[in-house]
Amino acid sequence: MGNNKKEKQKIALNGIVASPGIVQGKVRIVKSPKDILKAKREEIIITPFLDPDFIILLKKNDQIKGIVTNEGGATCHAAILAREFQIPYLAGVEKATKVFKNNMRITLDGEKGTVYEI
Amino acid sequence: MKYDKFSKIESIKEIKRYSLPHPETIFVFDLRKEEKKVDKFLKGKKIVSIRSDKRGQPQFCPNIPRCRSSKAKSLIRKINKQGYAVILHEYLHVKKGRIAAGHILILKNHILMELISFGPVSRLDRQGVVEEIIKFRKDDLTEVEHFGRKLAEKGVFKKIAKLVKNIPCFKILDFVLMERGVYFYQIQNDKTSKKLRD
Repeated sequence: MGNNKKEKQKIALNGIVASPGIVQGKVRIVKSPKDILKAKREEIIITPFLDPDFIILLKKNDQIKGIVTNEGGATCHAAILAREFQIPYLAGVEKATKVFKNNMRITLDGEKGTVYEI
Repeated sequence: MKYDKFSKIESIKEIKRYSLPHPETIFVFDLRKEEKKVDKFLKGKKIVSIRSDKRGQPQFCPNIPRCRSSKAKSLIRKINKQGYAVILHEYLHVKKGRIAAGHILILKNHILMELISFGPVSRLDRQGVVEEIIKFRKDDLTEVEHFGRKLAEKGVFKKIAKLVKNIPCFKILDFVLMERGVYFYQIQNDKTSKKLRD
């Protein structure tokens, strides 16, 4: 007997490993720099990019578990800082802010360069 | 040591040590004593780039990427008075005659290039704009990864990779590729890149 229930397609996107490490956590979509301070333990922030205003605040919140950005690469200022703080970071994940939603549980695989819903 | 702890000036000296092509550059610590050198540099140039550096404080230094030569001396004087050494560069247009610009990261086994087509490299650094990424294997310069649109003809970036392949690992170079050639203008250590998969 086949299962008639349609299984929901899980989201999976690829990006550039800017800071390695594998973490699981809840999504927090960050649109303005101040939202970074609201990020709680176990949260992976997803944002268009970490410009210098974001980075200053990133230093103030040591609870962030991981970072995913739509833009960026492994040589950007944000990538160097993420490596320094040992926060797994996947850059250049196009549409990440559109397809992932707040509180979704995800795995950021900063070894293979993928981020996916769990 | 005259240049000790002037990190940007030391960086340009390092580029020269590796015999990499770089924009014509002079350093001005005190315009009153070095006016002849500055006059000679400005001769025949309509536009120049002014950067500055302070011992032990490389950030937030005055920076005028595009400056008319006629105004350069008064600005140098002002910057020197504030306690900064001036780095006076030949101006490289951010659009006209520009093919690409970006970063080159030297890893142990690979060379990674992240590139933009126009504008200052701060677009890449601070805004995260990346238009092309190329990863070369260091030993034979085979292209092992490529993302984005091709900004230059085939083989151009491989030639640039060849110029830097013997530079010590875990350094990031900033460069500009103009129609008339390639120019390196900064090199920095990036110890954090040891953590990247190589």
